[in-house]
Formats: sequence, structure tokens, C-alpha cells
Amino acid sequence: MADIIIEVNNLAKYFPVTRGLLRRQKIADVKAVDGVSFAIHKGETLGLVGESGCGKTTLGKCILQLIRPTSGEVIFEGRDLCELTDKELVPVRAKLQMIFQDPYDSLDPRFTAMEIIGEPLRIHHISKGKEYSDHVLELLNLVGLAPYMAQRYPHEFSGGQRQRLGIARALALQPQFIMCDEPISALDVSIQAQIINLLDDLQQKFGVSYLFISHDLSVVRHLSDRVVVMYLGKVMEISNRDELYKNPLHPYTQALLSAVPIPDPVVEMKRQVIVLQGEVPSPMNPPSGCVFHPRCYRAFGDCSQVVPLLADAGGGHQVACLLYETSRP
Amino acid sequence: MAPLLEVRNIKTYFYTQDGVVKAVDGVSYDVNRGETIALVGESGCGKTVSALSILRLVGEPAGKIVAGEILFDGIDLLKLSKEEMRKMRGAKISIIFQEPLTSLNPVLTIGRQISEGMEFHKNMSPSEGMEEATRLLKMVGIPHPDRRIHDYPHQFSGGMRQRAMIAIAIACQPQLIIADEPTTVVDVTIQAQLLELIRNITKELNTSLILITHNLGIVARYAQRVFVMYAGNIVEHGKALDVYHAPYHPYTAGLLGSVPRLDEPRKARLQPIEGQPPDLIALPVGCSFQARCAYSVPQCLKEKPRLLEVAPNHYAACWVSQKELKPWQIL
Repeated sequence: MADIIIEVNNLAKYFPVTRGLLRRQKIADVKAVDGVSFAIHKGETLGLVGESGCGKTTLGKCILQLIRPTSGEVIFEGRDLCELTDKELVPVRAKLQMIFQDPYDSLDPRFTAMEIIGEPLRIHHISKGKEYSDHVLELLNLVGLAPYMAQRYPHEFSGGQRQRLGIARALALQPQFIMCDEPISALDVSIQAQIINLLDDLQQKFGVSYLFISHDLSVVRHLSDRVVVMYLGKVMEISNRDELYKNPLHPYTQALLSAVPIPDPVVEMKRQVIVLQGEVPSPMNPPSGCVFHPRCYRAFGDCSQVVPLLADAGGGHQVACLLYETSRP
Repeated sequence: MAPLLEVRNIKTYFYTQDGVVKAVDGVSYDVNRGETIALVGESGCGKTVSALSILRLVGEPAGKIVAGEILFDGIDLLKLSKEEMRKMRGAKISIIFQEPLTSLNPVLTIGRQISEGMEFHKNMSPSEGMEEATRLLKMVGIPHPDRRIHDYPHQFSGGMRQRAMIAIAIACQPQLIIADEPTTVVDVTIQAQLLELIRNITKELNTSLILITHNLGIVARYAQRVFVMYAGNIVEHGKALDVYHAPYHPYTAGLLGSVPRLDEPRKARLQPIEGQPPDLIALPVGCSFQARCAYSVPQCLKEKPRLLEVAPNHYAACWVSQKELKPWQIL
């Protein structure tokens, strides 16, 4: 398809676990991301959901080459980013940006707002002097901050305002793609909606694509066009938003959706919650077969043996579960 | 029957270099026996401080409960001596903290930490305490409890630590448990496990529960009555059903409108509450929500509204709804 902006093919990232002080020996791998493939289209928001430790942040960082993947490819503008050297990546990075989770840790406390937002402009030699400060003020305005705030330091801003700074910095180079790593989870409920709307507006204005990483399924539904569900480094399900929320196929997705409490006592009284037993196993020693089978309430004999493949269930809805595998290739 | 806990007009202030932070500024609520109530609000609204005040765990000397009464089973907790208060904590009233990693002691085993309270309050010997701790760990769903009681907190996962915390809280069969954001740091599937566990245990032991959270969905699932806090005050309270379906305070309506809901058609746009909560050092004279409120009238600037009954057993502190006696629409 012509409108694909980033294509991820069989991407994997293993972190080695070593032992020994003088002679380091690799004893195992943490399979943070294990054979993930999907595409991100122009101007769309791809939601990426999963619990902590499922590899969603690692995956996002691997796409941007902030962490070099172990294997697989990330195709952007016809080139595999994994093959590029750090130097070759510099111009590419201008087009691929990131918004971080914690607006407290991701801003340099000794920089003013102007220096924070202007840093990408300086690094990539976009503008200088009067043009530079005009550019920064324009960006401030774009994210709903006032010009007089340009000389303030991060600690003088509230959490929501800091996240706006992070967004302005990501937008400075007019990127084609922004990876948003849990951008609202550190914010209060009433402020979250402000940031969600801002991200929405900016996408409509600039046509930028987002990879929106979150564990909040209601927010992901609100923002995303398509959704990827991850568990223990693997993709469990990919689908269009409406299809996924109306007709979740994977037992894990079903459990996740039922676990989200709905702010309405009447609805809650009638709802049946699927409470998953146990906890997410260690990615160092993932279960055999389907990684979800020890917690799955619909698991049967084969699940502990056979690794399910991500297969099409119709209409672009892909699921990796033996319940839906009719025949093996 | 009189309620188990009655908090009457407490004020908890923090004296800082910049001025007096009125974290809790005249808050009243009550909890019946076996009931679950929720204190909801955003960070800094005073929900945690108002609950810590019950246990008199507000950090002194900066923090001080300057006024009010806290009647627990008819006894005013604020009048007790330090020693008498110590006998209350853990025995009659206990708390589940938000962050189990920082609230468990890293150098004591889990078993020791569970048994500690029972040794103090129930005169158990350490070996009896450990035996009881094993039973409690089993009850909160930790596999191999006989081995795991010898583990240290760092050997537990986040969800398991919170289970251990629950075991500590219920060890002496308290009449009241305060759960302060018990599931904010864990994942949704673990959150569901823990909340079901807390619900089953409180039901089984007929314990009252104060659930402190910012998650409106959790409140809807578990609480019978809701108290909505904003800038150190309760701005609305009533039965969960009434508050969610017919909010009488614009802030409550705004909160409900600003979260996307999974069970409803997707909205094209969320309706945020613009602006930010006020500075607790320099609170406005009038209603503290006035600056963010779309419905304010001149009176809101001049005078602070008090909680009044706007519908049967449903209270709101808003000049406009008190006059019109109509709930706000959730946009």
C-alpha cells in the first residue's frame, strides 16, 4: 500500500542477562519484543496496548532506533532504519519524534521553555536569531501556552503544561511520525482530556501519524484508528478500532476490556468481569506454546505446545490464538 | 445505628515557608458499618490527607489537624493520647497504601511484617504470629505461603506486594480499612484481582472501607456512596447511583464528561475541564471551582458555597444548583 509510512517486520529485541564478574557469561535473554510485525499508515493513530513489561515501550524505542533491535527491519522511506549508522540516522530523526511518559523527567530542569522547544531547531540548523525565537513562540502558541512562559523553567509549569512543552518539542521539526509513550498516564483526569484533544487537533492540522502507547483502553479507543494488543513481547491481536472493541477475538483482549471499570454504577452492576488468574510471567523464561496460555481461561491441550501465528480473521482483523486457527500452513 | 466513623468539619493545614496550605479545609463524612464509601478527586484535592487525618498520620510538625472531630465508634480520635492512638492503628483502623514498595519495610521479611501488628495488638508470640501470617497470605491468594513468608518485599512482584499489604491490613480484623489508591501502580488485570479480593474480604469480615481513588470507574464498581473532593473541600456527595446519573456539582459533571467510556459510542471530542485546580495557599474567597466553571454567577466570586441537600440524601456545594435544584448535564 502506498500510504504506509512505517513498516515493522519481524522485529525483535533481546536483552542479554549475564552472570559472573570477571568472565561475563550470557545465561539467558529477556525477550522484550519477539517477532512483531505491523504497519503504520499516513495520518493515522495506531494504538499499542498491553500491561507493564509487555514490551510496548521497547518496541516504540526500537522503531525510532533509540534502542537498536536484535533482528528484524523497520522500513521508513524505502530504507531499513536498522541498517543505518547513527550518523545516517540524524536527518531521519527529524522526521520521527517522540513524546515521553513522564513530563517531570523528560525536560532538562536547567533549560528554559524556549531552550527546550528550540533545541531541535538548533541541532538541525532550522532557524536562528529572531526567526528562531518567533518559531519557538509559534510552537508555544500551537500547544496552548502563552508567549510570556518562554523564559520559565520546567518546575514553574504544572504537569499538564509540561506535557504541552514535550509536545511542542516533538512538533518543532514538523515530523511525519510521533511515538507517544503513555503521554497522559502521569496527568490528572481533568487534564488528560485537554492533552488528548490537543493531540487530536495537531494530527488534523499537520497530518502526522502517531503510535500511541498506553495501558488505558478507553483512551486508546478514543484516539486510535487501529489497535495492536501486545502480551509478553508478542502481538496478540491487531484490528480496526471499532471492530476490536465490538468484537475482541483474543481471550486476553476480552479479559483486558472486561477489567476496565466503567464510570457508571448501573452498568457495573450488570457487568461480568473476567478476572485473570496469576501474573504476567517473566519474559526471561516465557511459557511454551502460546505465551498467554497459563493465564488463559479458554486454553486447551494444544495451547501449551503450539505457538499460534498471527492470522487474518477477516477484514484486516488479525489474531494470534489457536481458537481461531482452522488449518496450519 | 450510629455510623462507625463520623468525621466532622476537620481542617488539616500544612505550615510551609510559602504560607499555610489548606489541604483539608472543613471536611465532614461518615461511614456506616460494613459500608464502602469512596473519596474521589484529583491530586492535591485533599483526599489522602483527609484519610490520613483519621489515623493521625499527618506529618508533623508541618502538618496539623487544626480543627474538627473524628468520632470512631463514639470515641473522638483527636482527643486520644499517642499511646491510645497507637492501639487503634492496625487493630481497629488500618490502611492499605498506594505504593507497596515504599511502604513495606525492605529489611524485614513479609511474614514478620504481617505478624508485627498481631504481636503488638493481640499479644501473640512470634511463632503464633508467623502461623497466622501464613494463613493470611494464603487468604490473599499468594501461592506457597509457608515459603513466601520468609521472603523480603523485593522478592515479591508489585501485585503480590499489594496482596501482602492487604494481609497486613486485615491481620487484626479491623472495623475500618482505608485503601489509599490501592491499585494505581498495578496493571488492569492485577487491579481487577486486587479489587475483587478487597471486596470479598471486606464483605466476609463485615469491614467498612474508605476507598480513595481518582478512577471514577473503580468507584462506580465498588462504592455505595461517593464523596467528591475539590481543593480541600467536599463539593458533592450522595449515593453512587445519584451522583453518577444526576451530578449536582459542575465539577462532578465535568469529571464524568472528560473521561472516555468503553460502553458508549465513541465521542468525536472529549469535553475537558479547562484550566487547573487553584493554589491551596491562596484559595479564592468564593467557590474554589469558580475559575474553571462554565456556569458561574456573580455570587460564586463573593461567597463560598456550603454543602446543602439538593435532592434526597444528595448534597452539593454549588450556588446555582442549590437555587435551581436541577442536576447538570454530563457533556
